[in-house]
Amino acid sequence: MHAEWGWLAAIYLFLGGLGAGAMAYAALFELSGRRYEGDTCPEVCPVTLVGSTVAGPLVAAGVLLLIFELGAGLREPWRIPLMYTHPDSVMTWGVWILTIFIPVAFLYGFLELMHVYPGAWSALTARAAFLRNLRLRPIKRIVAAVGGVLALAVATYTGVLISEVGHAVPFWSTPLVPFLPIPTLPVLFLISALSTGEALTIDLAATISSRGQAPRGRREHFIHLGLITGEAVLLGQLLAHAFLEGEAAAQSARDILIGPHSIVFWVFIMVLGFIIPFIGHVYAAGRGRHQPVTGLVSGISLIASGLFLRYLVIVSAVHAFL
Amino acid sequence: MSTPDFSRRRFLGLALAGGASASLAVQVKKLPDVHARLAPVGGDRQKEVVEARYGLVIDTNKCTGCQACVKACNERNDLPSDLSYIHGRVKGDQHLRWFLMVQCQHCADPPCATVCPTNATYVRDDGVVLIDEKLCVGCKYCMYACPYDARIFDQERGVADKCWLCLDWVLAGGEPACVHACIPGARIFGRLDDPDSTVSQLVASGRARPLRPEFGTQPAVLRYVIDDPAEQSTRGA
Repeated sequence: MHAEWGWLAAIYLFLGGLGAGAMAYAALFELSGRRYEGDTCPEVCPVTLVGSTVAGPLVAAGVLLLIFELGAGLREPWRIPLMYTHPDSVMTWGVWILTIFIPVAFLYGFLELMHVYPGAWSALTARAAFLRNLRLRPIKRIVAAVGGVLALAVATYTGVLISEVGHAVPFWSTPLVPFLPIPTLPVLFLISALSTGEALTIDLAATISSRGQAPRGRREHFIHLGLITGEAVLLGQLLAHAFLEGEAAAQSARDILIGPHSIVFWVFIMVLGFIIPFIGHVYAAGRGRHQPVTGLVSGISLIASGLFLRYLVIVSAVHAFL
Repeated sequence: MSTPDFSRRRFLGLALAGGASASLAVQVKKLPDVHARLAPVGGDRQKEVVEARYGLVIDTNKCTGCQACVKACNERNDLPSDLSYIHGRVKGDQHLRWFLMVQCQHCADPPCATVCPTNATYVRDDGVVLIDEKLCVGCKYCMYACPYDARIFDQERGVADKCWLCLDWVLAGGEPACVHACIPGARIFGRLDDPDSTVSQLVASGRARPLRPEFGTQPAVLRYVIDDPAEQSTRGA
């Protein structure tokens, strides 16, 4: 089979994961109350501000890219609403999840902005009287809770979508545990989404906004080390199982390890996605906070490798041998 | 002075007419979608009730890999030379080489229909799986979901496409183009609901079997006669 999906689909899966991960972290900080703690979030909390405002635009941009990947749907867009109509299809679930997630994410971003800029909020309430009695923080908590759950669904869905092809592309449906019908990819993509989301909100946003005095807190770095390690273990397990399964799955694994995709794997995923951010986070965990260099380098390398991970999984598809 | 003016006008008129007829010719050459081609023989999606169960047996002992089926199919369906509903694989080893020609197996439980977000793929009562092109958005999900790799993408229309068993010919009492064109007679077409037909007897005798039934898609139309011992011991096909 010719590779039908390429970079566009990889970028879409990546943006879906990144937006969902950013949203999940913003919701976590909001719901746990850490957004309002001075030592983790001085003055304005960069984690919730960036996480909530970028989530909607990122996922919406991914959906736009997905539309450009369509054939007849791009030329005759009135066919696109048909994608809501077949509940047996995982893609239909995804279209529904995204349709609910995007407005919730935009609403959360708006509420967070209003909370950060009270001047804008009072200007708005001066014009719209019915908003005057609203209290921002409780509403924001509800929206964050809904958005957080939806974010986990979006992140998992990107993996479910491609693992659902079953026997057709054995590598994509490689099970998490042998003989159990739970595929690895949804879990791998969920962890990767959380890792890129944390890279964006904590490694990058929190480090940049505090001008070299990143918020203290060892916990984030240990959590992130766990995510990076978990991702590496899952990816190794995926490749090992693919070799065990043999045939087309083993062909995919060979292509990744020693074949045409080996540079993407060893350089852009192993070095860029695991080794560099692991060292950066060990250093940050030791000091209790990111230095500007460790924050920027591990944030950028993690986000970039998240994109390469999706690309690698898409292009390494090998159809079942007949 | 008037002559060149007249001739220029005439030339312009001729050029316009030529252009119009050329574009018309292009439009005529482009085949209408499967449903429009089925309309004259009553193949409408809603009102279809057919008792027939079609069967197409490919005898790999007779197949020489000559590609006549591929060429006939491409000709019939106006496909470019680099795309085909039928793809061939060379099997066996250096001592015993044989050919496996694969196309849509017309499954009873087709994963391409399950994953389709717009419900464009459906199974007819006679077992034939069709795509309703008007519903297809061209997301290409079905191309990944088909374990037989039987789907191609029609760039011109932006939709997924596959073997439709030349259903207009079949409903009119004929046979698919690939069967008609097969030089060694390796393709046998008939009705599985008729116990006396050659295909029914091949299936009943156990010689003709579905390809890779472990995929679980329950191929309904295509059956293969495969006598390669290596193939049977490893896959039980």
